[in-house]
Amino acid sequence: MNLVVQRARHPQLRDYIHSAVFGLLPFIQKGMVERAAVIFFNTDGIPVERFVFKLAVNLSYGSKVEEADLEFSLRSFLIKLSVSESLTKVLPRNYRWEITAYFRSLPEASANKDVEQWIPTDTRQWEQPPLLTPIKSMSSEPLCVQLYIEHPSLSEPKPQNGEV
Amino acid sequence: MSMESTRSDKSAKRSFNNNRNSASSNSNSNPSNKKKKTSQKTLGVAWGSNSRSSSRSSFSNSPFSNFGSYMVEKNRKLQNQFEAEASTSSHGGSGSVKPIFDGVSIFVDGFTVPSSQELRGYMLKHGGRFENYFSRRRVTHIICSNLPDSKIKNLRSFSRGLPVVKPAWILESVAVNKLLSWVPFQLDQLANNQPKLSSFFTLKRSSVSNSASTHAPCQVNPEAEDSSLKVGTSGDTYFSEVSEPFEHRKQISRESDDLVNENSNASLVEETAGSSGKPCEVAMGIPSNIDAEDESSVKNDLQSSHYQPTALVSSNCINNQNMKGSPSSMVSEPSNQSHSTLGDPNFVENYFKNSRLHFIGTWRNRYRKRFHSLSNGFNCTSSNIKASPLKTAIMHVDMDCFFVSVVIRNHPELLDKPVAVCHSDNTKGTAEISSANYPARDYGIKAGMFVRNAKALCPHLVIFPYNFEAYEEVADQFYNVLHKHGNKVQAVSCDEAFLDVTDSEGDPQLLASKIRKEIFETTRCTASVGIAGNMLMARLATRTAKPDGQCYIPPERVDDYLSQLPIKALPGIGHVLEEKLKKQNVWTCGQLRMISKDSLQKDFGLKTGEMLWNYSRGVDNRLVGLIQESKSVGAEVNWGVRFKDLKDAQNFLSNLCKEVSLRLQGCGVEGRTFTLKIKKRRKDAEEPIKYMGHGDCENLSHSTTVPVATDDVEVLQRITKQLFGSFHLDVKEIRGVGLQVSRLESTENSKQGLERNSLKSWLASASARTEELCKNSHVAKESSNRGCEGEGDETLGQLCGNSVGLSIQMDSNTSNGAACLNEVSVLPPLCHLDMGVLKSLPPELFSELNEIYGGKLVDLIAKNKGKTENINHTLSAYSHEKIEGAMKEGQAARLSSMVFQNEIPVENKAEQHIAKEVLAVSGAESFVPASGLKKTDLIPSSLSQVDTSVLQQLPEELKVDILEHLPAHRMQVFSPNVLLDPTEIPLEALGTKTAENNSGSKDFVLDNNLWVGIPPQWVDKFKVSNCLILNILAEMYYKSGSTGNLSPILQRISSVSLHQLDAFQDGWDEAMYILCELLKQYIKLKIELDIEEIYVCFRLLRRFAMKSELFIQVYNIVSPYLQALVGENYGGNLHMSLKD
Repeated sequence: MNLVVQRARHPQLRDYIHSAVFGLLPFIQKGMVERAAVIFFNTDGIPVERFVFKLAVNLSYGSKVEEADLEFSLRSFLIKLSVSESLTKVLPRNYRWEITAYFRSLPEASANKDVEQWIPTDTRQWEQPPLLTPIKSMSSEPLCVQLYIEHPSLSEPKPQNGEV
Repeated sequence: MSMESTRSDKSAKRSFNNNRNSASSNSNSNPSNKKKKTSQKTLGVAWGSNSRSSSRSSFSNSPFSNFGSYMVEKNRKLQNQFEAEASTSSHGGSGSVKPIFDGVSIFVDGFTVPSSQELRGYMLKHGGRFENYFSRRRVTHIICSNLPDSKIKNLRSFSRGLPVVKPAWILESVAVNKLLSWVPFQLDQLANNQPKLSSFFTLKRSSVSNSASTHAPCQVNPEAEDSSLKVGTSGDTYFSEVSEPFEHRKQISRESDDLVNENSNASLVEETAGSSGKPCEVAMGIPSNIDAEDESSVKNDLQSSHYQPTALVSSNCINNQNMKGSPSSMVSEPSNQSHSTLGDPNFVENYFKNSRLHFIGTWRNRYRKRFHSLSNGFNCTSSNIKASPLKTAIMHVDMDCFFVSVVIRNHPELLDKPVAVCHSDNTKGTAEISSANYPARDYGIKAGMFVRNAKALCPHLVIFPYNFEAYEEVADQFYNVLHKHGNKVQAVSCDEAFLDVTDSEGDPQLLASKIRKEIFETTRCTASVGIAGNMLMARLATRTAKPDGQCYIPPERVDDYLSQLPIKALPGIGHVLEEKLKKQNVWTCGQLRMISKDSLQKDFGLKTGEMLWNYSRGVDNRLVGLIQESKSVGAEVNWGVRFKDLKDAQNFLSNLCKEVSLRLQGCGVEGRTFTLKIKKRRKDAEEPIKYMGHGDCENLSHSTTVPVATDDVEVLQRITKQLFGSFHLDVKEIRGVGLQVSRLESTENSKQGLERNSLKSWLASASARTEELCKNSHVAKESSNRGCEGEGDETLGQLCGNSVGLSIQMDSNTSNGAACLNEVSVLPPLCHLDMGVLKSLPPELFSELNEIYGGKLVDLIAKNKGKTENINHTLSAYSHEKIEGAMKEGQAARLSSMVFQNEIPVENKAEQHIAKEVLAVSGAESFVPASGLKKTDLIPSSLSQVDTSVLQQLPEELKVDILEHLPAHRMQVFSPNVLLDPTEIPLEALGTKTAENNSGSKDFVLDNNLWVGIPPQWVDKFKVSNCLILNILAEMYYKSGSTGNLSPILQRISSVSLHQLDAFQDGWDEAMYILCELLKQYIKLKIELDIEEIYVCFRLLRRFAMKSELFIQVYNIVSPYLQALVGENYGGNLHMSLKD
C-alpha cells in the first residue's frame, strides 16, 4: 500500500488483533457489519473512548473493484488515522479495550464456526448521546468507511476515578 | 528548531568530510573504517543525526562509536542486501544487452506512486541501484512526486545538484525498455524554478541517452531483418507467410465483429495486416502492394495470396499455393516441415487456426460475450431460484458429435457411415481423431485415438478435415435458436449450452423437443437435451439422452439415477481423481455417497471434497448464467514445437505474443502480469509417439509484473523475450510454450476513463435528454405563447381565472410532483440548455420574449429606485441586439436597461401592459420544462412565482382581483418547489436578476438541488447574485478546483477578510437565508457517508463566525439542524466545542 502502518509488538496482542479483524472479514463481505468499534473502558466496564468504524459495503459491486481508487482512499484513511493522536485523551493505566462489532442482524450461530468466535459484549453504554469527532470518511465504491471517535458527553455522569 | 540552519551548517561540513574521506570509505571491508569519523552522511539522517552524534553519549555502549559510523555500517549492509537480491532477480538472460538502468542510482524521497519498494524492485530487475539514504556521491537521481515548499526553496541544498525526477521516468523507461531522458520527467514544481540548471543538464544528459537509444534499435533491427529474409528465401514456406495471416485475420475479424467493441474491428484488422505485412515489406520491398491489400477487404484473402506469391516468389511456392487453394489441402498436405516450428515461421497462427481446442475455447468466449448483454434478468431472478431449488428447470443442450455432423450435413450419403474429423489424414496415422460420429463409435472409435488405430478398427472410416466456417455458421444458428427460447443461456462451448427454463411456460419436455426440432431444421444437425433441476443433473441427463434424444430427470428420480452412475461420469472427476477413488473401492456415485463429507474433504481437499459430496447427491448450486470473469488470457502451444536455434525460438515467441495480444484485444482487456510457461523435454524422454507431440516434459514457468497494464504486441514481445532469457534453456529441448497474461484490467476503463464516473455520464445523458425534451416542448411552448398572444387583449381577470383552475389541478398532482422529484433534482443547471432552446425559437417569438424580459428588468430596477412614475417607454423601442447582449451578461443587461431607464419615462398604462404580458408569457415560458416533465404540475406554481415579482407592479385594483382569484394557498405552492427550478433558471440566464428583487429570498426557491450538477446550481445562482459574500463563494468554487466539496471553498474564503463582508446591508437576510439553505442541503447530502467533510466545514464556519456577524447567524441557524441529523444517523452529537 505504499504506507507505513503501526502494529503491536507483542505477539499475542498482535494475534488477537489479527484474528479479530480477520474474523470480521466474512461478515463485512456479507455486509452484515454496520459498525466496528475499538472501545476503551475503565475497570468498571464504562467506556471512555470509542473509535467507531462505520462501514457501508456495496454488495452489488462484485469483482469490478477499481483497485487503485480503493487503495488511494484507504491510504489517505490510514494516514489520517496515524496523525489523529491529538484528538485522543491520555488514558490512565489499567484501562482495557476490546473490539466490538455491531451487526445489522445477528448471524445464526450454527451457520459457520466464524460466528462462534464472537460473543455478545457486556460493555456498558453511555446514558447520554456521545460527542463525535470525525476523523476520516472515505467513500470509494464499493466500500465506504467512516471513522470517528466517540467521547462521553459532557453531561455524562463522571465515572469514579478509582485508580491513578 | 529550524531545519534550515542545521542543514546549512551541515552541508558545509559534509562536503568537507566527503573530500577527506572519499578514498577510505570506498573500501568498506576495512573494519577500521567503522571507528573513523564518517564520511557517509546521508541527507535523511543528517538533519537529525549530526547534532545527536556529537552531543549524545548513548552510543558509547553500542558497538558503534557514534551515529555516523552506525549509518556507515547500515548503508553497507543495505547495499549488500541489494546486490544479493539483484543478482537473483534480474533477468540476465541475454547477457550482451546492457540493463536499462545501468549506472543509475536512485534515492526515493517521500511518498511516490508506485511505492519506493516497487521502484526498488524495478531497479533490482533492470540493473539499477537503489539508495535508502541520500548521498551525493552514490545517488544519480532523486525520485519524488512532491516536494515541500522548504525543499523547493532550497533546492540546491536538497538535491545537491542532482536531477529531481518523477517516478514516471522509471516506469516509462521500463515500459519502453530503454533509459529515457529524465528531463521531460523533471518534477513539475521545479520545472520553472531553475531553467538554467535543467537546460544545462538537458544538453549533457540527453546526448548520452540518445546514443543509448540509437544503440538499442540497431540491435533489434538486424534481427528483424534476418528472420524476415529467411522467410523470403526459404521458398516453400513462403506461401504460408503471405496467405495465412490473411485467413487468420479473417477469422479474427469475424470474431471481433461479434465482440462488444465494434470499433476494434477495423483497428484489429489493420493491426494484423500491419504486423503480417511488415516482414514482407522488409524482404520484398513492395510496401505499396501490401498497403493495397490491407485495404482490400478480408474476403479477398485467397485472391491476394495468389497475387502476392506470383508477383514475388519463385516457382516452387506456387505449387504449395495451389495445394492450399483446394479445400482438402489441410488433410493431404504432405509437408512435414511446415507442421513444426522448424519450417513454418507462421506456425503459431496456423496452429491456432487449425486447433480445435482453440476454436472451442475462443467460441465459448464469443457466445458468452455476445449474449451476455441480453440477459439482464439474471440478477433479480437468481435469488428466487436459490430459494426454490425444486421448481427450477435447467436444460442442457448439446449437439450430437458436432464436429462431424456439421461437416457431413452436406453429405447425406455418409449419415450412417463411420466418419471422423481429424486435422490430418496422414498416411502415418499419428494424428488424433477429434470427433467421431455414432456409427464410427460403434466400431470403438473414440476421440483422441490415433488415426492409425482407428483405421485398424474400421478400415472404411471416412476422415474429414475441420471446416471452421461451417462450425461457425452452425454454432451461430444453434445459439440463435436457444436465445429465441429463453433469455438465460449460458454458453459452455460452441455446441453446448445451458438454459434456465424455469420461467418458461409449459412443460420443459415439450419445449425441449421444440428446441431440438428447430435446431435440426435450421442446422440439419441433431441435438440432445437433458432436463433436470440443476446444471449437474441436466448434463448427466444429456448423457442418457444422446444421441438425438432428450431425457428428463425429475427430482425424485435423482437418487436412483445417480446410485448406479459410474463416478467418472460426474463432471470434475478426471483420471487422477477416479483412480484415487477406485483405490478406495468407489466405483459408483452410490458408493461415493457412503463416504462422509469430512473424510472426503480430508482426502481430497476442502473444495474437491465438498464437490464430490454434493455431486454424488445430485446437488449443484451453480446458477445458469453465472459466469466467472476470466482471470487470465493466454495462448499455449504444446504441439509441433521444435526449435533449431535461438532465433527460431524468438521468432516463435514473437508470434505467440501477437496471438496473445490479439486475444487480449478481443476480450477487451489489458494485463499486468505475464507468465511464460515452457515444456522442457525430460532428459531421458524419447521422441513422443504422437507425431510432433510434446511427450514427457518438465513444466517450467517464470512470470513478471509490469507497472502499466498493456495489450501491446511490442511490449509483450519484449517482456516475453526477457522472461524467456531467464530460463537459460537449450532451445532444442523445448516442446511447448505458453504465454499467459493475468491481473487483467478492462481496456474500457483505462482508455475511456473510469466507468465509475458513470454518474457524470449519466448526468450528461440526462442533460441531453432534457435538452431533447425541451426541444419537444418547444412546440407546446409556441402554441401556448400564441394562445397567450391571442388573449393578450382580453382581460387579465380571465387569465387569472385560468390559472386558478390550473393551480387546483396542480394541488391534486403534488404527489406526482413529489414522485418526479428525484428526476428533477438531477437535472443539470439549465443555463446552457435553455440558451439552445431560445436560439431555436422563431425570431418573432424570440424578440418578443426579449422585449418582455427587458421590460421586466426595467420594472425591477425602476422599483428599486422608486422611480416608477418616471419611466415612459414603449417596449418596442428596445433594440433586439442590446437585449441579446444582456442575456449573455446579466451585468451588461442591467447597465443597458439602466440607461434606458434614465432616458425614458413610462406611463402607467404601459406599465400595466408590460405586467400583463410578463404574466402571460412567463406563464407560457413555464411550459418549457413543464411539458418535458409534468405539464400540469408546473404551470400554476410558476405562475404564482411570476406573480410575486409582477403583482406588486400592478395597479391596486388588479392586484386585488388576482389575489381574490388565487387561493390562499399560494404560498404553499413553494413547497413542491423543486419543480420550479427549471423555470427559475431560464429567467436568470436571461439576465433577470432575481436577487435584486426584495422578495428575492422567495425567488431563490427552496428547492433541493442546489448541489446538483457540475458545477452545482448554487454556483451559478451565487455568481449573479448581488451579495458580495455569495459572489465570493461562487468565485471560490472555481478557484478551489471545482471539486464539488464545500470545505475547500470555505478554506479559501478563510483567507478573505471577513470583516468587510459584513459591511453590506442590503440583501443580508437573503444571503443568510440562502446560505443556510445551501448548508442544510449539503448536510443532507453528506450526512450518511461523509461526516468528516461536514465536520471540517462546520469547524471552518465556526471560525468564520468569530469574525463575521453573518456567519454567526448562519452557524446558529444550521447547527441545531446538523446536530439533529447527526444524532439521527450516528446516535451522538458532533463535538464542536471551542476548546480545541
